[in-house]
Amino acid sequence: MKQVLLVRYAEIHLKGLNRPYFERMLVDRMRDALLPLRARIEREQGRVFVYDLPEESIAEAAAKICGVFGVHSVSPALCVEKNWDSIRTAAISLVAPDADKPTTFKCFAKRSDKRFPMTSEQICRELGHVLLDAYETLSVDVHHPALKVTVEVRQQSAFVFTKEMLGVGGMPVGTNGKAMLLISGGIDSPVAGYMIAKRGVALSAVHFYSYPYTSERARDKVVELTKIVARYAGEIDLYLVPFTEIQLAIYDRCPSSETTVLMRRLMMKIAERIANQCGAQALVTGEAIGQVASQTMDSLACTDDAVSLPVFRPLIGFDKEEIVERAQKIGTFETSILPFEDCCTVFVPQHPVTRPKVEQLRQSEALVDFEPMIESAIAATECMKISQFVLD
Amino acid sequence: MIYFDNSATTRVFDQAAQRAALAMTERFFNPAAAYGAAFSVEKEVNAARAYAAQLLGVRPEEVFFTSGGTESNNIAVFGALAAARGKKRVVTTMVEHASVYETVLAAAKRYDAEVVYAPLNDDGTVNVDRLGEVLSPDTALVSIMHVNNELGSVNDLDRIAAKVRTYAPNALFHSDGVQAFLKLPQTRIPCDLYSISAHKFHAPKGVGILYVRSGAKVAPGQIGGGQERNFRSGTSNTPAILGMDTAMRLYSEHKAEFHANLSAVKERLYADLSTLPDVVLNGPELSHGAKHILNVSFLGVRGEVLLHALEQKQIYVSTGSACAAKKIGKNRILHAVGIDGARQEGAIRFSFCPFNTVAEADYVAETIGEQLALLRRYRRR
Repeated sequence: MKQVLLVRYAEIHLKGLNRPYFERMLVDRMRDALLPLRARIEREQGRVFVYDLPEESIAEAAAKICGVFGVHSVSPALCVEKNWDSIRTAAISLVAPDADKPTTFKCFAKRSDKRFPMTSEQICRELGHVLLDAYETLSVDVHHPALKVTVEVRQQSAFVFTKEMLGVGGMPVGTNGKAMLLISGGIDSPVAGYMIAKRGVALSAVHFYSYPYTSERARDKVVELTKIVARYAGEIDLYLVPFTEIQLAIYDRCPSSETTVLMRRLMMKIAERIANQCGAQALVTGEAIGQVASQTMDSLACTDDAVSLPVFRPLIGFDKEEIVERAQKIGTFETSILPFEDCCTVFVPQHPVTRPKVEQLRQSEALVDFEPMIESAIAATECMKISQFVLD
Repeated sequence: MIYFDNSATTRVFDQAAQRAALAMTERFFNPAAAYGAAFSVEKEVNAARAYAAQLLGVRPEEVFFTSGGTESNNIAVFGALAAARGKKRVVTTMVEHASVYETVLAAAKRYDAEVVYAPLNDDGTVNVDRLGEVLSPDTALVSIMHVNNELGSVNDLDRIAAKVRTYAPNALFHSDGVQAFLKLPQTRIPCDLYSISAHKFHAPKGVGILYVRSGAKVAPGQIGGGQERNFRSGTSNTPAILGMDTAMRLYSEHKAEFHANLSAVKERLYADLSTLPDVVLNGPELSHGAKHILNVSFLGVRGEVLLHALEQKQIYVSTGSACAAKKIGKNRILHAVGIDGARQEGAIRFSFCPFNTVAEADYVAETIGEQLALLRRYRRR
């Protein structure tokens, strides 16, 4: 009898011939998540099992696995030999902690090994008897049981468990290509990155800083946020782009009401070039319709016009409150609200355009030869490899 | 590097650092231990105490070592209120450092006291003529800083003490002397409680002094092994205390020349900056303020932006107290003396130490001139 984790996966069920590929990726991501613990992870017919975990790490490991994209749910289980005696003993010991006070239960069984002499129905019935005999506190409730005692009889062994912890769902990171996240240090962009990564997309990230209008602490905050996103999304290459020169040029030479949208367009252009260099296939932003002037439908269209890569905006239909809620859930909120930057306000026009026209913006942009500035910004870009394990 | 942020902290004197190192390696004994080696360390600690007492014009048994300015202020405020009976009033100012301002609010809440703020002059000093209006017989504590950390305003403690004796005879008079100790011509003090922080005068961080006049009723700080005559328990931080001792002696011995240098640098920097457009002096007139603090507003620029621009040239200054640098919103101290809007936004505090030179002041002013020309082109529009 040993303790294992029984892991069910989310959408991978729906995959056809390339399902083994998704399963392999999921196992890899689970292995990354468990580091520095080394466990044996095996796939078996629609389930993944984690063996050889030290007993004291089971709970922590289960929580970590629940956070891996692609996991539907996790059950800490007892793995036993496929005979009735072992199953019975395992069930009795597993139920013990819950049976110290009166409670209700129901038995469930799944038998994928049809050679096992008892049918699922028989297992349930017999196990019910056994548990009722063992604990006076237990009674059966087939409609709303407090405790679900489940037995799965599989090819190699049988598994008994009572708990099912819900995972985050989604798809294993790396199964759906790579995207470039524009990360600002605010609340929205880390959440956007999380949501795209959840669909199996690996992330790179790009951040624009405007020394001396933003501080080194503000830049460090972005590194911290990226680190939190990397807990879910795996290793992230973070590109830090100096942006002051471009910002000043926009201020000096372009119509003031358009500064913000023009700045967004230039950021997108730079992000796209870096994306092309590092093999990212799309850009990701934390924009939501109408949140600020540069996020009206017209402004978003103007931003899109600056690039040819697809731009994903997973928060597009979210209210600020909903975004905050998600940020709190994934753990980026507290870092996002650290009060470091805010000196950039000099560049925010008092009266920004809310309905910019693409043609007009193209003309304004043409007032300045941005090309050499873009090139020198990219040349001066610093790349940091960010993973959840890097400590500073 | 040019370091003009000496009110935030200072570089430790080499001799003080060596003394501290010695107290960590060879002379590491716990001064409270029974054997001779430890006793000799205890004697060093008490010599430091006696020296500080001499500078303050008080008795050695009235000098307690703490972990620094914040702890000294906490013990003073909480200790005074805890020991006071009956109805209580605390009189303080809106321009205190956070370690007094916030502590007074917290202590007043805990001991159900009333907080009243003393009237101020435009230069950040207390309006002593009107101080009597807020003092009362049921006032338990008056806490007024000696030198303001952002503006450099200097309060006349003798006059304030006289007012307190007249109008609030039952009150203890505490003064936060963190920015004042060794920086003013006189070190003797007329109050009941006085706080000192060592790292402001080239000593290590993590040590300070609280002076408590003998007979003043003040509840003790942390409880434990009974160190510091049962007033502040905890193993004596000998490296820091002895480092502070060395720094105090050095500073005190060279005080005349140090002060002359501070004044020269401050006056030169202000003279240089005055040639630039839209520069406004904040706080007291140049000769009235502390010699080591100069607060100036550069209209049309955000202080933080100028700070970061100077940082790129290895010039370090601040926009106010480092203890408030990460808080958003208005500057409480500048606001309290009527400095708001563009003048508050563009405020920079320069603070000097004896190592600074007039050549540095010239270079800083020149660099600021260049940066202003650039930065002022970009205003919000």
